[in-house]
Amino acid sequence: MTDKIKLACIIDDDSIYVNLIRKIIETKKLCDNLLVFNDGKDGIEYFETILQNLEDKFIPEVILLDLNMPVMDGWEFIERFTTIRNKIKKTITLYVVSSSINQRDIAKAKSLSSVKNYLVKPVEIDQLEAVFTKTA
Amino acid sequence: MTESALKEKLISNSDYCYWELNDNTSYWSKAFINNLGYQPNDVTIKLDFFLNNIIHEDYRAPFKDNFYNLVRHDVDFKQNVLLRSKEGKYLEYVCKTNEDITIDSKENSKTIFFFKSKLNTHEKVRGGTFYYHETAMMTSTGSWYIDFEKKKSYWDHITRKILEYPEDFIPSLKMGLKLYAKEHHALATNVFMECGMSGKPFDVEILMVTAHNRKFWARAMGKPVFNDNKEIIGLRGVFQDIDDVKQKEINLERTSEIIASQNSRLFNFAHIVSHNLRSHSSNLSLIVQLIDDMDSVEEKLELMDNIKDVSDSLNTTIEHLNEVVTIQTNADQHREKVSFAATLNQVCTSISQIISTNNVTILPDFSEVKDVDYIPAYMDSILLNLLTNAIKYKHVDRDPIITVKTSVDYKDNDRVVLEVKDNGAGIDMEKFGDKVFGMYKTFHYNKDAVGIGLFITKNQIESLNGEIKVNSILNEGTTFTIKF
Repeated sequence: MTDKIKLACIIDDDSIYVNLIRKIIETKKLCDNLLVFNDGKDGIEYFETILQNLEDKFIPEVILLDLNMPVMDGWEFIERFTTIRNKIKKTITLYVVSSSINQRDIAKAKSLSSVKNYLVKPVEIDQLEAVFTKTA
Repeated sequence: MTESALKEKLISNSDYCYWELNDNTSYWSKAFINNLGYQPNDVTIKLDFFLNNIIHEDYRAPFKDNFYNLVRHDVDFKQNVLLRSKEGKYLEYVCKTNEDITIDSKENSKTIFFFKSKLNTHEKVRGGTFYYHETAMMTSTGSWYIDFEKKKSYWDHITRKILEYPEDFIPSLKMGLKLYAKEHHALATNVFMECGMSGKPFDVEILMVTAHNRKFWARAMGKPVFNDNKEIIGLRGVFQDIDDVKQKEINLERTSEIIASQNSRLFNFAHIVSHNLRSHSSNLSLIVQLIDDMDSVEEKLELMDNIKDVSDSLNTTIEHLNEVVTIQTNADQHREKVSFAATLNQVCTSISQIISTNNVTILPDFSEVKDVDYIPAYMDSILLNLLTNAIKYKHVDRDPIITVKTSVDYKDNDRVVLEVKDNGAGIDMEKFGDKVFGMYKTFHYNKDAVGIGLFITKNQIESLNGEIKVNSILNEGTTFTIKF
């Protein structure tokens, strides 16, 4: 039994990549709504805001997070997100999606409890489908 | 009977002979003249004659030192000498001053006594002195003595030579720090004080300054001299000119630093290339996947636009990388004298629009250093990047004030330093300190930040073996310091 994801979130500064993912999501109908932030700071500000008004429909089930971003990078986002997420009941699954193939980055990301998995760009369409398919 | 005649009589039958120096007159004893095979009327009793015709050249310089110290400072001495007789035969003497010779009656008379050396190991002594002297000469090692009681200091002739002072120069205690380069005044004070106060010997490499104001590296060694009561009554030591070796060492150090930094830049560059190209190639591969996946031709064609986007940004990246590569190959480009003031003027003119719109005040101070040998285009680009940066990231509450100042770092081979300081928004150094000069890194919440300027600036500076550092306090301002 699968249940379609309603809200997903992408935090990435590469607009071409974001557009392509959006396209895949639309074509494959992977989720109903998509939130896009260009860097970690915009992303974290969103989560800080929804803490004031915890409505399910504002809370994404999946986050695709880039590491290398200006202003606030993925690492800092994860750090700050971890404290916020403890205050939210709903399960939020966070994937790191980065073009870095540096083993240290990969190991570090996988060691963090709030990170579900590390996906190396380019992501495959199949991979995306798997990410957006949650088991009920 | 005159005093000299009295002495003459006293020593006539011995191995002693003497040279008396009173006021401006000299007097050689008959025995002295006879021993050397001269007749009293043959010779002019003058120092010049003694130095040029009688004393063996190996002993000349040390004797001169001793002689002047005796005449001017009443410093007694004892040394071995070889003296040449009229027939050209060398005779060995010990020469000694009147310090402990009882026959001297008059207090202020100065007399040098010559004793036939009792040693028949003629060659040994001669050789010893010769080797000592040769060693001192060839290793450029001069000795010195500071007498705390008489408050005087003494140098041997090699010390004078390496410090470029005339042979008859008399050092004084007052010279003190004048012998050392400004940047090493503290070091010199420290080691001499510690040695003089607590008797701690020293052995340091120090920058000294000659009489002609030439700086050179010396190894200075010193140790205390004690009297019978174990009190420190002076310091004795040597200066060795190690400039050649030290310069080579410094060059070697520098070369190895350059190689290390080039290596790290290459590594960094490889990383940038792989990372930046990867993001484009992964986008391309996503597009291809999508095209494969789409059913209709229209949809497939729509994706072509995306290919164009990727291609554009790939081009931009390649241009940036190209710029970086060009810097590396430009490093051996011709350098010329570049004036800071002229370059700043030029840059200000080219961005006059931005300067006036933002109400920028630029305060230049090039009084300490006016120019530097550099690649003009780089200086241009460096100042342009730093100025536009300072303006772009100005503080929201105030107009930008940018000071641009040059100076000399005396502690680091007199390198020229340029400081560009603003009163802007500042950078959170704790968060971004190690990323300021990274490629595509921006820290300000400023949408038009590209993150290439400071990266290029750092590369240009480093390709010419310089350094750039940043210091910043959030909300107070940022200072970039460049060492050429």
